[in-house]
Amino acid sequence: MTLVVGFAPDGRGRGVLHLSAMLARSTGDDLVVCAVIPAPWPPSPARVDAEWRAEVEHLANDALDRARERLPEDIPARYLIHHARSTPAGLLEVAEEHEANVLVTGPMGSTTGRLLHTSPVPVAISPRGFRCPPDARVTRVTAAYAGADDDLVVAAAAVAARVGASLRIGSFAVRARPPYTSGVGRTADDAMLADWVREIESAARSTLDTVGHLPDVPRALEAVVGHGESWEEALEDVEWHDGDVLVVGSSSAGPVARVFLGSRASKIVRHSPVPAVVVPRGVAVELAEEAAAPA
Amino acid sequence: MASLGEQFLRRKPVGVMAEETGADTEGGELKRTITLFQLSLFGIGATIGTGIFIVLTEAVPIAGPAVVFSFVFAGAVAGLTAICYAELASAVPVSGSSYSYAYATMGEGIAMIVAACLLLEYGVSAAAVAVGWSQYLNELLDNLFGFTIPESISNAPEADGVINLPAIVLIVLCATLLMRGASESAKVNAVMVLIKIGVLVLFIAVGLTGWSSDNLSDFTPFGVNGITSAAGIIFFSYIGLDAVSTAGEEVHNPRRNLPLAIITALVVVTSIYLLVALVAVAAQPLADFEGQEAGLSAILESVTGSSWPASVLAAGAVISIFSVTLVVIYGQTRILFAMARDGMIPPFFHRLNPRTLTPVPATIVVAILISLLAGLLPINFLAEMTSIGTLVAFLIVSIGVMVLRRTAPDLPRGFRVPLYPIVPLASIAGCIWIIQDLRAVTIYVFFGWSAVALVWYFFYGRHHSLLGRSSS
Repeated sequence: MTLVVGFAPDGRGRGVLHLSAMLARSTGDDLVVCAVIPAPWPPSPARVDAEWRAEVEHLANDALDRARERLPEDIPARYLIHHARSTPAGLLEVAEEHEANVLVTGPMGSTTGRLLHTSPVPVAISPRGFRCPPDARVTRVTAAYAGADDDLVVAAAAVAARVGASLRIGSFAVRARPPYTSGVGRTADDAMLADWVREIESAARSTLDTVGHLPDVPRALEAVVGHGESWEEALEDVEWHDGDVLVVGSSSAGPVARVFLGSRASKIVRHSPVPAVVVPRGVAVELAEEAAAPA
Repeated sequence: MASLGEQFLRRKPVGVMAEETGADTEGGELKRTITLFQLSLFGIGATIGTGIFIVLTEAVPIAGPAVVFSFVFAGAVAGLTAICYAELASAVPVSGSSYSYAYATMGEGIAMIVAACLLLEYGVSAAAVAVGWSQYLNELLDNLFGFTIPESISNAPEADGVINLPAIVLIVLCATLLMRGASESAKVNAVMVLIKIGVLVLFIAVGLTGWSSDNLSDFTPFGVNGITSAAGIIFFSYIGLDAVSTAGEEVHNPRRNLPLAIITALVVVTSIYLLVALVAVAAQPLADFEGQEAGLSAILESVTGSSWPASVLAAGAVISIFSVTLVVIYGQTRILFAMARDGMIPPFFHRLNPRTLTPVPATIVVAILISLLAGLLPINFLAEMTSIGTLVAFLIVSIGVMVLRRTAPDLPRGFRVPLYPIVPLASIAGCIWIIQDLRAVTIYVFFGWSAVALVWYFFYGRHHSLLGRSSS
């Protein structure tokens, strides 16, 4: 299995390398580190842009050299330059060509944003400034849970069991206070929210129960709820430590097996203090079925 | 310290170029993957279009119906120059623009002059094309919504306006896309070519219904002089043919296929142009051409009395000219990049945005300059400046081919001009003939511009040249 790593030709984005090393070490996959540069254009034998093109290729090679220096030596990795009309399109092409099971990319921006909307494989996103020791592994997988995504939790559990990590179900209660002018008081919604939290906690317990009966069970199981007035606060409300990875499901229920990130999921990804992996529904269902089947 | 003469003539070693462009000179050759058919299509696609949408309005009043001969003449010269350029390009085993080829074969000073010509061939032509675009846009808006952008903000001062705002908007739009790293896929490019050919065929078919032999009764009202004068502006519509010339390394049997592809492309393009021109001059009296905006659309409208064929043509022009503008501005910024890398212009021009990898500062400067040209100058002047720039660049190339045969007879050439020395001599004569018939103002401005380039070279280029600094 392969992780395809998008590495910007400008050589920034160390976080991506740290994250891909951590993931590869945990899963035993190899890496394909890829710098995407513009495809030749316009389609004509006249190459008035030869010098510029050469410079861009040179920059990409330099960036890959730097990536080679920074990645721990014991992780098998290939390095390549790919020509494409856009970075997201290029990464998807490489992912398809190498049958990648995860695409690793940098913090939310135009490239990551577009990948999340078009990638048929899970996308791992390094938070801004992400660093980890060279021998870091994934020790805990947190599945973002809103009450109805059992497949995602089971899929996350299967991966957690495989890499020897524990599983945590994380739900996030974001309570935006009603404005003063609404006249119902600043705490009017609190009762509603409390109800929601109770429901989610019981749903999480029953899902954990399902996970407990899988053929392969993660090291440990727990469920938490984070509270806050914003997604950022709610995410900060639960404790995180090194080796944590947050798994978020896509919100698409349609037949198209692509990541389509709902507004909630994209907010979670944006504010996640730990690396997030966005899993398309189709992939989650597949992984969950595999996990449930007796080996 | 090298003397001025030595500086002017110092050539960039091919090895250095190969290193810079990453070309593999050890293996010797690129894969020869392009067939004659493909190369001819490339040539047709690169050449056809834009110019023909604009030039008739300017050329017919100069030549009358005999403008068809101007097309043949301009096409023949374009073909000869393209064949000469092919020999020069084949002598340098790496790819680049004619600036790069000139630098490797004829020396730094000549390369600077060629670069000055390329600024006209790209920068000024982008302005000309943008002005043409604004005319077709106005035509389209008028037909579809009965609304036109006021004269004062859609025309240059000389054409009774203040500034051509739509043209500026187009340039800013293209530059913005380019800075973000946008490009066109091969598929979109092919569609653009088909749109251009499609609307020209539409023009021929519909315009034919308005054929009136009366309009052709006085076929050559301005004699031979009119024909060659008009050829100067018309040459504009053959720019792009030289794209074929640089494919010597990649085409099977270049000796046979390169000239054949150039001739095939030329025959196809010229035939379409001739039909368009003939239909146009037969459709309306000579006097109607002068000052006609969005010429082809206007003719269709008066021929059919209905607006839809004109609207289709205008829409096709608006879409395809947009794509051409994008390509031309792209080319300009990349040529400046190469020059800046050589130290001929300030390093500012080869600064890349680390995220998009595009030369953002250069693109901004280019967009501002082209916007000023497009906003303030009339289209006939811009078209003529483009023509003269391209013609002089090819004139230098043709002379260069002959000089190099004498001074560097052993230079390995992948392609040699057939019928030497007739072809380069004819090419030189053709270029000079067309140039001397251009309007005096065009020629003076061109000399002025060349002088600026030489002064720039004298005070900046020769001191900052990377080649000079590395050898001393």
